[in-house]
Amino acid sequence: MDFFNRFAIPHPSPAIYASMVAIGITVIAVIAGLTYFKKWGYLWREWLTTVDHKRIGIMYLISALLMLFRGGVDAIMMRAQLAVPENKLLDAQHYNEIFTTHGIVMIIFMAMPFIMALMNFVVPLQIGARDVAFPRLNALSFWLFFMGAMLFNISFIIGGSPDAGWTSYFPLAGTEFSESVGSNYYMIAIQIAGIGTLMTGINFITTILKMRAPGMTLMKMPMFTWSSLVTNAIIVFAFPVLTVLLLMGTMDRLFGTHFFTTTNGGMDMLWANFFWVWGHPEVYILILPAFGIYSEVISTFARRNLYGYKSMVGSMVIISLLSFLVWTHHFFTMGQGALTNSIFSITTMAIAVPTGVKLFNWLFTLWKGKIEVTTPMLYALLFIPTFTIGGVTGVMLGMSAADYQYHNTMFLVAHFHMVIIPGVVFAMLAGLTYYWPKMFGFMLNEKIGKWSAWIIAISTLLAFIPMFFSGLDGQARRMYTYSESTGFGPWNMVSFIGAAGLAVGFALIVYNIYYSTRYASRDIAADPWDARSLEWATHTPVPAYNFAILPQVNSSEALWDAKKHGHELFPGKYEKIHMPNNSGVPFIMSCIFFVWGFSFVFSIWIPLILTTIGIFVCMGLRSFEKDHGHYITVDEIKETENNLRGA
Amino acid sequence: MKIDNSLPLEYSTEENSNKILGFWIFLGAEIMLFATLFSAYFTLVDRTGTGPTGAEIFEIAPVLIETILLLTSSFTIGLGIHAMRLGNKKAMLTFFTITLLLGLGFLSFEIFEFVHYVHIGAGLQTSAFTAILLTTLGTHGAHVTFGLFWGLFIILQVKKRGLTPETANKSFIFSLYWHFLDVVWIFIFSFVYLKGMM
Amino acid sequence: MKELFPMKQVMGFVFSLLLTTVALAVYFLDLSLTMGMTLLLVTAFIQAAVQLVVFMHAGETKDRGAIYTNVYYGLIIALVTVFGTLLCMIWGYI
Repeated sequence: MDFFNRFAIPHPSPAIYASMVAIGITVIAVIAGLTYFKKWGYLWREWLTTVDHKRIGIMYLISALLMLFRGGVDAIMMRAQLAVPENKLLDAQHYNEIFTTHGIVMIIFMAMPFIMALMNFVVPLQIGARDVAFPRLNALSFWLFFMGAMLFNISFIIGGSPDAGWTSYFPLAGTEFSESVGSNYYMIAIQIAGIGTLMTGINFITTILKMRAPGMTLMKMPMFTWSSLVTNAIIVFAFPVLTVLLLMGTMDRLFGTHFFTTTNGGMDMLWANFFWVWGHPEVYILILPAFGIYSEVISTFARRNLYGYKSMVGSMVIISLLSFLVWTHHFFTMGQGALTNSIFSITTMAIAVPTGVKLFNWLFTLWKGKIEVTTPMLYALLFIPTFTIGGVTGVMLGMSAADYQYHNTMFLVAHFHMVIIPGVVFAMLAGLTYYWPKMFGFMLNEKIGKWSAWIIAISTLLAFIPMFFSGLDGQARRMYTYSESTGFGPWNMVSFIGAAGLAVGFALIVYNIYYSTRYASRDIAADPWDARSLEWATHTPVPAYNFAILPQVNSSEALWDAKKHGHELFPGKYEKIHMPNNSGVPFIMSCIFFVWGFSFVFSIWIPLILTTIGIFVCMGLRSFEKDHGHYITVDEIKETENNLRGA
Repeated sequence: MKIDNSLPLEYSTEENSNKILGFWIFLGAEIMLFATLFSAYFTLVDRTGTGPTGAEIFEIAPVLIETILLLTSSFTIGLGIHAMRLGNKKAMLTFFTITLLLGLGFLSFEIFEFVHYVHIGAGLQTSAFTAILLTTLGTHGAHVTFGLFWGLFIILQVKKRGLTPETANKSFIFSLYWHFLDVVWIFIFSFVYLKGMM
Repeated sequence: MKELFPMKQVMGFVFSLLLTTVALAVYFLDLSLTMGMTLLLVTAFIQAAVQLVVFMHAGETKDRGAIYTNVYYGLIIALVTVFGTLLCMIWGYI
């Protein structure tokens, strides 16, 4: 029995038991449904083993939406607990677990895959390629991310969730103060997902550098592709830091080392240091692709080419370097001297300059444009003012002397939500609406879409503006309750109303997907938005090979040129196309990784050793495998093309 | 598959040239991996707690032997790639085998060194310094171990399938990996051992 | 037999052994910390450069721009991380 005790949850509550039952029923329903409708083969052939970047993108998208739900529920519970003083909805421990998982789920398992979804789907199409450089590696990246996310998410029903904050600072996260396996989940699950992300970074840099259509020089790439290139460069250099950090954390927790302890020479702040060496660039990994989406959307719906292309690219490259130079601003109050803080204050404030350049470029693109306010455009227009609030409060926080006042208050929480929600979430929703027709062959309803955009934007302000004030009044973050005499009550009530509004907005998006799936017209053109770049030049739905003939490009807006200036986009005739084969190995290997992670979390050593061997066997088999892909013949291409043209 | 005969075999297809660039980018990530370990090492080097310091446990002789072994193996794999480009499969396999044997020698010395450290009371749990020392060396050692298996697989494939664009590409990428491990070792040798004994 | 040992690589190997010997000076001679560290930094980075250019063929294809950018970018960020960490964790407490 002792063996099984470790799987029990240390702090059970009715809500958790209810979720257990709900998860159990859902799993049974999914398995039963797949069996009843005989879809196992379809699932395996078309999705689990696919190496097609478009399908991998869609799987990322589905995971991101699921995780958005999970993280959103956490958020609602937190705001509900704080809505009134002395609330008894959650106890302290449960609250700790929820703000921890909310942070991790939203950043690593929602925002990241959402970005990966759009990158996977759009980048190869936008550069006129047939797939990414390493399609099978891409599948492995997705499945590692997915298994990491699943491992993290079972924590709250098996063994207990992490509860030391999403930053997981030591010594709090050490075994002395966090006895449950929760923090082990944190270390291992993020490690697995992080390895997947690192491989995505390598894959996309190679894809963008090597597989562009003829004529597309670096300075003729669409802006989203540029932002993806810069983002992936940041990923490649930032994620190894996380890998090492999590390794050290794991060793402290499981092997009794003294990296971050307070005895035998350990240094707890070293964790914070490395966490932010990774964590700050991570912020830009999230925001740059979002900027890329806005650039595409704004120039499409202002019917103008993007203002200041070169300065856009330049500012992104500068941001990518500066993002590695500012991390100390996350712990200005640690106690280091004025010189250190001054250096990092200056670099921090310097980032506002290239970001400002980008904002002005968008404004100048809108200037004298023929603006058409569609749902994606509405998100972009709402983004500019709301994001600016988040941005300038960031400059306030960046002044190290003033930061002693703001540090660890709700002011900070308000700041980063006001940056991330308009910056990343609006962009992802804009991107989702914008690329939806290319992904699924019908448009989302514009009326419902605009309603949800307005509701989400207003609710964001309602939810987070009050935190600026309660934070300045001294409300600390991560406190599970407060007394009435503090006067924080009304602010938090408004915040809760905002959070509820956000929930309504997201529910409306789900309803929109349902409504449009049922009623939207399937008879849409390949280019429903009258857009400017290559992803709209191919058919909808996109054939497996993307482009029957590789496009010939001579400007950063290839499709616009073809439409307005009669540029010949697809010269030449059909030739057979080389395509990669599907493979089950990425999925199987990631499943082994899941078991590996689970055994590691609970220190069950024999399965850990066996799965480690299993992982290396998979890699060895891959080394010896002869896989030359397959060819799509000219006849097959003709047939597909004729069918798609007819539709 | 289009084969461009004007380039060395390992670059000859588009896929091959993608793989080489992709591996270089991976090495960029590896630079950061070891940079993080070095940052942690430099931060924790004087935080020895109740354990020994570096000067007390380092010995020059085994470290020097390890260095020579790894430097030579880096040289021989370079010769292996040169032989591969001449199309001399036999010489290439000989050089690759020598490389792996030298790597094995390096690894044996390192394992011996680890056992010695633990024996004299500088184990993983002793202090922050010993933990980061063994983690940094161990990460490098794990890379070498991985490389030994990888190299062995490549030798087997070249032996069986001959020098094709595919096997040549794999061999070249493996050589990049091996040279990189040598570079990392130079930094460990200089800034962990020599600085520690200075 | 001779064609299997190209001059460039043999010289590179000899040079790297030489640099190792020079670096050993910090062990056998009684140098100041500044002198010793300078010596180690110089020899280590030259060694790395030798490996990169002579053995790893970094500049031989048209991807050399991407490869060198990648390596330099990694190097800059690596140095920033090392020295920034030292600044925050050890040196910066004045």
